[in-house]
Amino acid sequence: MPILEVTNVKKTYTARIGAAKVEALKNVTFTAEKGEYIAIMGESGLGKTTLLNILAALDKPTGGRVLLDGAELSKVKEKETAKFRRDNLGFVFQEFNLLDTFTVRDNILLPLVLMGMSYPEMEKKLLPAAEKLGISELLDKYPYEISGGQKQRTAAARAMITEPKLLLADEPTGALDSKASDELLAIFSKLNAEGQTILMVTHSVKAASHANRVLFIKDGEVFHQIYRGGCGNEELYKKISDTLTLIASGGAV
Amino acid sequence: MNAMLLYPRLAVNGINKNRRIYLPYILTCSGMIMMYYITSFLTVSRFVREMKGGEIMQQLLFMGCGVMIVFSAVFLFYTNSFIIRRRKTEFGLYNILGMDKRNISRILLWENLMIFVISMVVGISCGILFSKLAELVLTKMLGGGASYAFNAEPKSILHALVYYAVIFLLILINSLRQIHLANPIELMKSENSGEKPPKANYVLAVMGALILAAAYFMAVYIKEPLSALMAFFVAVIMVIGATYLLFISGSVAVCRVLQKNKRYYYRTNHFISVSQMAYRMKRNGAGLASICILSTMVLVTLSSTICLFIGEEDMLRNRYPRNIIIDTYSAEEAVTSLIHKAADDVLEKYGETPENVLHYSYYNITAAFEGNKVICDAEKVKEISNTVNYDIRQMFFVSISDYNRLMDKAEVLSEDEVIICTVNGDFGFDTIAFDGYKTFSVKSKAEDFVGSASAMVNAVESVYIFVKDEAVIAELSEQQLGIPGEYHSRMHDYYGFDLDCDEDRQAEIGSEILEKIMAVKSEQGENWKGVSFDCAANDRAEFYALYGGLFFLGILFGTVFIAAAVLIMYYKQISEGFEDKAKFGILQKVGMTKGEIRKSINSQVLTVFFAPLAAAGVHMAFAFGIVSRLLMLFGLTDTGLFAAVTLCCFLMFGAVYTAVYLITSGSYYKIVSSRE
Repeated sequence: MPILEVTNVKKTYTARIGAAKVEALKNVTFTAEKGEYIAIMGESGLGKTTLLNILAALDKPTGGRVLLDGAELSKVKEKETAKFRRDNLGFVFQEFNLLDTFTVRDNILLPLVLMGMSYPEMEKKLLPAAEKLGISELLDKYPYEISGGQKQRTAAARAMITEPKLLLADEPTGALDSKASDELLAIFSKLNAEGQTILMVTHSVKAASHANRVLFIKDGEVFHQIYRGGCGNEELYKKISDTLTLIASGGAV
Repeated sequence: MNAMLLYPRLAVNGINKNRRIYLPYILTCSGMIMMYYITSFLTVSRFVREMKGGEIMQQLLFMGCGVMIVFSAVFLFYTNSFIIRRRKTEFGLYNILGMDKRNISRILLWENLMIFVISMVVGISCGILFSKLAELVLTKMLGGGASYAFNAEPKSILHALVYYAVIFLLILINSLRQIHLANPIELMKSENSGEKPPKANYVLAVMGALILAAAYFMAVYIKEPLSALMAFFVAVIMVIGATYLLFISGSVAVCRVLQKNKRYYYRTNHFISVSQMAYRMKRNGAGLASICILSTMVLVTLSSTICLFIGEEDMLRNRYPRNIIIDTYSAEEAVTSLIHKAADDVLEKYGETPENVLHYSYYNITAAFEGNKVICDAEKVKEISNTVNYDIRQMFFVSISDYNRLMDKAEVLSEDEVIICTVNGDFGFDTIAFDGYKTFSVKSKAEDFVGSASAMVNAVESVYIFVKDEAVIAELSEQQLGIPGEYHSRMHDYYGFDLDCDEDRQAEIGSEILEKIMAVKSEQGENWKGVSFDCAANDRAEFYALYGGLFFLGILFGTVFIAAAVLIMYYKQISEGFEDKAKFGILQKVGMTKGEIRKSINSQVLTVFFAPLAAAGVHMAFAFGIVSRLLMLFGLTDTGLFAAVTLCCFLMFGAVYTAVYLITSGSYYKIVSSRE
């Protein structure tokens, strides 16, 4: 059974002035198996973030349905979505979204605190997670004292400490330099190798080339997908960029 | 488009786009100018001056004008710095779009000019409108009639124009300085530049707590109003210092201590609130302390001036137990007969008879009490009064015959016996021992004595000692005269009476008696011992002017202070709102429900909002004793009245405060939950 099933998802926005409707997502269908590492690509403004918000239960689709581990997202009650999110999902954002008022430690512990876990239990989870992401030395620092890459690793630690069913990443390398991006992508690959299901939205070819499968969205629909198969990162990189060129020139794959 | 109009247009645009922060600012400026104009108008109003006591009132109001100007300057400076901070991003954008700082300065100049003109027009118009009302209220307080002629005072308008122009100029220069110091990148991000975490300064926090405890101790344990006056000022300064220390360092220290307790800190309801409170307090500690102090000042000023005003008649009677009081500093028949004759002659001339006559002799010293031991030595008393643990009382010695006559009793005392009557104090011994002299046995305690109504007696702890006869007093006074020292007391002859005629006639009689007494004085030459003469009717107008004036100023400043506190709170909330907006979004993504976030922010905002009010309440509670003792100096002895007025003031203030909280938190939620 797939962990995530997205079927015919549709999202239309009504513009504030006039009755013009904007179709952000027309008809998106795909599934993700447990342990998969999927990258979703597409040009800016083509509904990638809308899709992610729907997957995160931050937004509701106009049509279609999303099943996460068999539970339908739109059926989760408004009040319970927050709990649902923190129990099942982990987030990594382009802008890190760390709270300035918390130390790195407190930022990572935030979801556990919200779950109501006892402190000794948190401590047990914190150290391995920090270790894995190479931020053990930074736990008592504040976000303003650390680099962008370190911030993003902190955000990743916060996302995975709850052992979520699905890790959602929105342009995680968007605000990072290439060295920091490489480090983060290596960490994602490692997490995936340990069994973490990851869904990443990006328009960085390099980031996408770390995934097992790449979905291309165009005009609100899944236009094409590439499986890694047996090929290495560089080979996949080339495939992705060829596909993007094709999409841009309007041709069919 | 005409380039000349570009800057005014940008300025109008800037003000309009930032309505939410400029509207309250303009209102405050107008309000301040209005208040200044009204006060200034009253100081020069001929109508007020010509009233009885009007000049005293105008002197008070003149001081009020000065306070208004200083307060306006400080306060407008403060609010403006807040506005500039908020608008730096916008100026940074202009700068990046190619405007240099000269251009930005011109926009700022135009903006300030417009705000100044608007505030001036609104302020002065409202001022002229309400000045008549204020004048009517004032003349009513002085007990005079009213004139309904309506007029503006060009001099006051000019003064307001000049003073506030200077204040606005200073504000403009300060904003320009801030803009010039920053580079565009800084301007752009000045609002959310990475803030250092607040450090807890435990030393300062503990110091604050200790100073506050010491100040409270002083306020509660100092019983004697005269020394209370000095102690009051010291305590006020200590409380102000301690409030700042506690709000700035103490609050952060508390948050830090809570954070160290991991089992407490890592809990859903504490985690976010505690860590964010530390930041909030770091940013707002000084502002909140200022609000707390402002509120306390408002409460003290309002309650005491209202009390003085309401209790005016009582105080007058306390201060002047009889319409006319002649206190001669000698009890020798030869002297007193001349004085009494002077008074009686005048009364006869007017065909009035003295009523409620209160006539007795007394001997008065200040003494220190140690158990049942009484130390009268002036030097020693002075020494003791410098220590903390002193008990100094006024002592009045009166013969038992005077007591029996005035109180309608038939007590008989032997040489070694006394009767004691205490006011504002207690004496629980069977004997009373005069240091270096002799010991009397206390035959009984008297409940009351007519002389104890006088304000001087009431203001301090006093003891009346009734002895066998004047010979005993004489011996005692000789004993005291034998002690070397600069101050020696004497016998007094107290002669007071009421008159059954109207105020004007009383004043006339009073003046004539005083004239006669002065004549006696010049006859006596070197033998003159001194007389203190009081005529209530003569002093009533001044009395009313003084307390009426204080009351008026109390209301005036009370209003201004409340407006200030309210505006500071409003701005605080708005700026918090802009800062919290980002956090709101993050927390939601991480898995907090809107309700949880709202609850957490709500509890923080409530704490921030009501901490100053609560602290002001505690300050008031501790200040109550000392302030009521100070009011006794003015002759106001009705502590119950003061308590009631204080409570009413606090409740009313609390109600206004809560109303502001509700309005402000409304705009706060609008900002926080709005989508970009």
